[in-house]
Amino acid sequence: MIGLSHYLIVSAIIFSIGLVGVLRRRNLLMLFFATEVMLNAVNIAFAAISHYYNDLTGQMFAFFIIAIAASEVAVGLGILIVLFKKHGSLDLDDLANMRG
Amino acid sequence: MENMLSILVFFPAVAGLLGFVVEKESARMYGVTVAAIEFALSLWLWFSFDMSNAGMQFVEMIPLIPDFGITYYLGADGISLFIIIMTTLMTLIGMAGMSETRNVKNMIITLLFLEMTMVGVFVALDAIIFYMFWELSLVPMLYIIGAWGGPLRIYASIKFFLYTFAGSLIMLVGMLFVAYTYHDLTGVWSFAITDWYALVLPVDYQLWLFAAFFIGFAIKVPMFPFHTWIPYAHGQAPTIGSVILAAVLLKMGTYGFVRFSLPMFPDASVMAITPIAVLSLIMIIYTAMIAYAQKDMKQVIAYSSVSHMGIIMLGLFAMNAEGLSGSVFQMLSHGIVSGALFMLVGVIYDRRHTKLMSEFGGLAAVMPKYAVIFGIMLMAAVGLPLTMGFPGEFLVLLGFYKISPIMTILAGTSIILGAVYMLRLFKKSFFGPLNNEENMKLKDLNNRETWSLIPLVAIVIWLGVYPKPVLEPIDNSVKALLVFMDEKAITKEAKDMILVSKSNKGGA
Amino acid sequence: MENLVYVALFAPFVGSLFAALFGMSQRQIFVGVIASGLLAVSFISSLLLAINLYTTGNVIHVTMMDWINAGDISIPFGFVIDQISVTMMTVVTLVSTIVHIYAIGYMDHDKAFNRFFSYLSAFVFSMLILVMSDNFAGLFIGWEGVGVCSWLLVGFWYHKPDQTREENPSISPSWAANEAFIMNRIADLGMLVGIFILYWNTGSLQYDVVFAALPNLDDAVLVTAAIALFIGAMGKSAQFPLHTWLTDAMEGPTPVSALIHAATMVTAGVFLVIRSNPLYGMEAVAGVSFFIACLGTFVAFYAASMALVERDLKRIIAYSTLSQLGYMFAAAGLGAYWIALFHLAAHAFFKALLFLGGGNVMHAMHDELDLFKMGELRKKMRGTFIYMTIASIALAGLPPLAGFWSKDAIIETAFNEHTYVLWFMLVLTAGMTAFYSFRQVFLTFFGEDRHTALGFHPHEMYKFVLAAMSPLAVLAIITGWFMGGYKAFIYQIGEGVQYEMSEHTHHLATYLGLIVIFVAVSGIILAYFKYARTGKNAFKRNEEKEQGFFYKLLINQYYVPKIYEEYITKPYAMISEVFWTKVDLKIVDATVDNIAKFFYVSGDKTRAMQTGNLSNYLNWMAVGAVVLLVIAAISAMLV
Repeated sequence: MIGLSHYLIVSAIIFSIGLVGVLRRRNLLMLFFATEVMLNAVNIAFAAISHYYNDLTGQMFAFFIIAIAASEVAVGLGILIVLFKKHGSLDLDDLANMRG
Repeated sequence: MENMLSILVFFPAVAGLLGFVVEKESARMYGVTVAAIEFALSLWLWFSFDMSNAGMQFVEMIPLIPDFGITYYLGADGISLFIIIMTTLMTLIGMAGMSETRNVKNMIITLLFLEMTMVGVFVALDAIIFYMFWELSLVPMLYIIGAWGGPLRIYASIKFFLYTFAGSLIMLVGMLFVAYTYHDLTGVWSFAITDWYALVLPVDYQLWLFAAFFIGFAIKVPMFPFHTWIPYAHGQAPTIGSVILAAVLLKMGTYGFVRFSLPMFPDASVMAITPIAVLSLIMIIYTAMIAYAQKDMKQVIAYSSVSHMGIIMLGLFAMNAEGLSGSVFQMLSHGIVSGALFMLVGVIYDRRHTKLMSEFGGLAAVMPKYAVIFGIMLMAAVGLPLTMGFPGEFLVLLGFYKISPIMTILAGTSIILGAVYMLRLFKKSFFGPLNNEENMKLKDLNNRETWSLIPLVAIVIWLGVYPKPVLEPIDNSVKALLVFMDEKAITKEAKDMILVSKSNKGGA
Repeated sequence: MENLVYVALFAPFVGSLFAALFGMSQRQIFVGVIASGLLAVSFISSLLLAINLYTTGNVIHVTMMDWINAGDISIPFGFVIDQISVTMMTVVTLVSTIVHIYAIGYMDHDKAFNRFFSYLSAFVFSMLILVMSDNFAGLFIGWEGVGVCSWLLVGFWYHKPDQTREENPSISPSWAANEAFIMNRIADLGMLVGIFILYWNTGSLQYDVVFAALPNLDDAVLVTAAIALFIGAMGKSAQFPLHTWLTDAMEGPTPVSALIHAATMVTAGVFLVIRSNPLYGMEAVAGVSFFIACLGTFVAFYAASMALVERDLKRIIAYSTLSQLGYMFAAAGLGAYWIALFHLAAHAFFKALLFLGGGNVMHAMHDELDLFKMGELRKKMRGTFIYMTIASIALAGLPPLAGFWSKDAIIETAFNEHTYVLWFMLVLTAGMTAFYSFRQVFLTFFGEDRHTALGFHPHEMYKFVLAAMSPLAVLAIITGWFMGGYKAFIYQIGEGVQYEMSEHTHHLATYLGLIVIFVAVSGIILAYFKYARTGKNAFKRNEEKEQGFFYKLLINQYYVPKIYEEYITKPYAMISEVFWTKVDLKIVDATVDNIAKFFYVSGDKTRAMQTGNLSNYLNWMAVGAVVLLVIAAISAMLV
């Protein structure tokens, strides 16, 4: 029987994958994907817990997240394109002009 | 006049704002006029002051944030009255005698703002208002040292700012805690100092709070070992900055002890007598010795000023009317005398652009008027009877003798050590042969310098011969303070130590 | 009568202010004349007060105004005219008047003539406050006031440079002035402590209140108060070990030495002890009083011994002053207050005369003071010679001059009190006094002419100056004849100051007097044979003897100034330097700076985290999140 904990474990694994992606990747686009992965990991957890408690609020929240993620991608990709046009690269090591 | 104190506080600030539209050439005239009006206002305050009333007068109270008990609350008693007058006087004299030529307009405006903050500190009766003025006073001084100072001015001004700022933050924590306790006990918020007076705190609370306030005030005084910002501040500040710093800003620390520490924490104050006395003694003797080792005239005066503040601190903790009144009187005397001495050093610096004693010698021959005024101020600084320096020092030592004869004798060495470094300074600069070519053509005091110093000389002698008009209101308020402390004290030791004078015992 | 009190007190003050008005302008003779005239007014008022007191016996007590009121203390400006203060007033104003007139001639060529009179009159004013005041605080005003005036006057020729101790034992006028002021301040601290003790135990500083309360006090309190006040007296009266300033103070102009450092200011300490006779006369403080007597005797002998070899005219007179102050303290310590006061007055007259005579010599010799460069001056300076001889006889204590009566009474007192050691020392000192004062007279006025060869052409002082000195000469002769009358006068005060010899001493009085005369005369004869003769017996310097141990010890003042310099002044300067450069800058300030530096450096180091690389930031963020999670987990487990 697949229970709540299985969902949560999957969610945690996906989240970790996303986190590693955020930490290790150098390309901004890849970072974007990694954050999306993390968001979806959270969505899975939300949906699963919502089902477990029979409370729809969690699933509603998951929808919110999907909506926000979509708009974020729209804005983010726009910024990425501008950045790429300006610097010709999306590598984070080349973009370190806030060095203290 | 109902809002006399508000006018006194904000008139210089408003005038300072208007100062931005004044022509550069007339800025100085404008500043002196404003300061003179302000001084006249403070004198008016004195004339309308009820000498027989020991409590707060000219009280103004406007709620600002009623939910948290923060009120715009001003008032003056015998202790603060004369410090206010001294503040306005020294600002006026300092401005009139100022020789600064760079950016005079900005200097005048800064000084006027500074005057507002200083007067504000001495009339505020609400802790938040007090704290606000207290912190605001740092800014103009930072600017004066940092913009018109000597070669090390940035270091000196930042040191001055951060050091005193750090201290006052700890004090702020103390204030908030008192307010919190007050809320705990009474259910209402209040930052009014007079409300806080009514608060009887347990001894351990008192000790912690005393310590918090102590750090804030002690750095300002400055007490040993928190004094090291002062040689830099004085050494780098322009003459006017040193005058105001020595005359008024240091008094804010000692005034804080009188206004907060003593009445709010009587038991802790009594317990703190010995540690504070020891620090004061170190201050008196150690800095007097350092003053002797100095080569720069201004540094001698700077260290001597620390040494004299030690006497004031000692008097505050004498716990009897003699010592406490003497101490408050000594604040005034120190303000005027050390202010005048800094102005005098400024005079010679303007002429020679050096303050090293080795550069001088025999100045009495070429600058007789200068030597005479310097001599009078020097004698006042070493506490000669019939000058202003004597009554305060005498009363402080007399008062503290009741607490500890041995410590009084040690503190009394200040009359010896003071004479040692001051006379050495005088001998090195004014006596001896006139050897240095450059000194031979020095000009004596000009009219501006003479007439800004003469009033100070007159005051020094007047209050030395007849201190009564000033000493009496101070004494009334001090006696009332002691009676209050005696009633409020909870431990028996404190009650025994606080000596209420006989004249009050009969009445109360 | 009250007005007379104020006239006597404020006339010198007005004179001082008047002279100060012209302080920075050219020499004006009228300034000196007016200042002297005002002092004469003060003298006449004092004299009238004295006569009034003598005839009516009414002590005048006036209160001018309040001075300091704080807590329970209340100090007025109050003045009391009783037998003690009126004696002092008369002596002070008389000597000052003469010295003022003298100074008009003596300071004739000085550019700062007007300033000099301003200081001198201010001094008299302070001295009058000191003696007239009716409370200890008022006394202290005068006490410090005379100190400052003395500082100004000793350092009057401030432009002279510092010299080494070998060239000039006093280094320079300004140095001597500072030394005098600082030494007096040391003693003043003692005096202040005495004042504090009296205030906290009696609740007042008024003489009458304090003295009335004394019998109720603890012995320990009385003893400490007596000691503390005496320390104050020691400084002003230059008693050992605070004596070095007095000889150095001779750097001041001679009228100053005559007035301040011989006749008046230095006697203030004696005055204090006499004034506080109700305290010092108590059983409980008998030990302190006896110590005062011993110290006085010691100083009398000690100073006289240094005078034996001194070659500087003024310093010899200064030592003699020290020595005579010792006599006064001996008398006061033994309880014979009125005899001390009488000796004080008599001493003031003859010592002022001696100093002024010395000033004439100095003037004639163009500021040369070395006795070995003088000789045979009597022919050129007859008036001065006569005056100085009279003064020296009085100082040596030969009848019928003033010094004999008062000094003999002191020596007799020592005998009467059965303190035979003191008696012997005082008699011996009397012989030494006679020797050194006549050594000085003979070396100056007799013997071979040694000065012409050195290019000096001495001339007598102005006539009016000599005339002005005549009252002192007359007083130096006749004062002693009025001892009986004075005794009756001062006995009016009450028992405190009364002192009578016992029957036993009374019988021996004549013999005791003869012993003193014999010792003094032998001293003079010895001096005559050694220094006064001419021809082949003439005095010659013996360089070899000057290398002897005792000679060197005495000429170097027992090395006391040197010890002070080596063991007090220099270490003080050194410690101060260490405090400043090592402690204050390297420890106290460095600690503060290090705290600031810690924040600065830690900020500077962690700044490396700000790489600007987003990836790094994200890593740090993850680390932070993990840390927070761990903390949250731990705290959740603990709860």
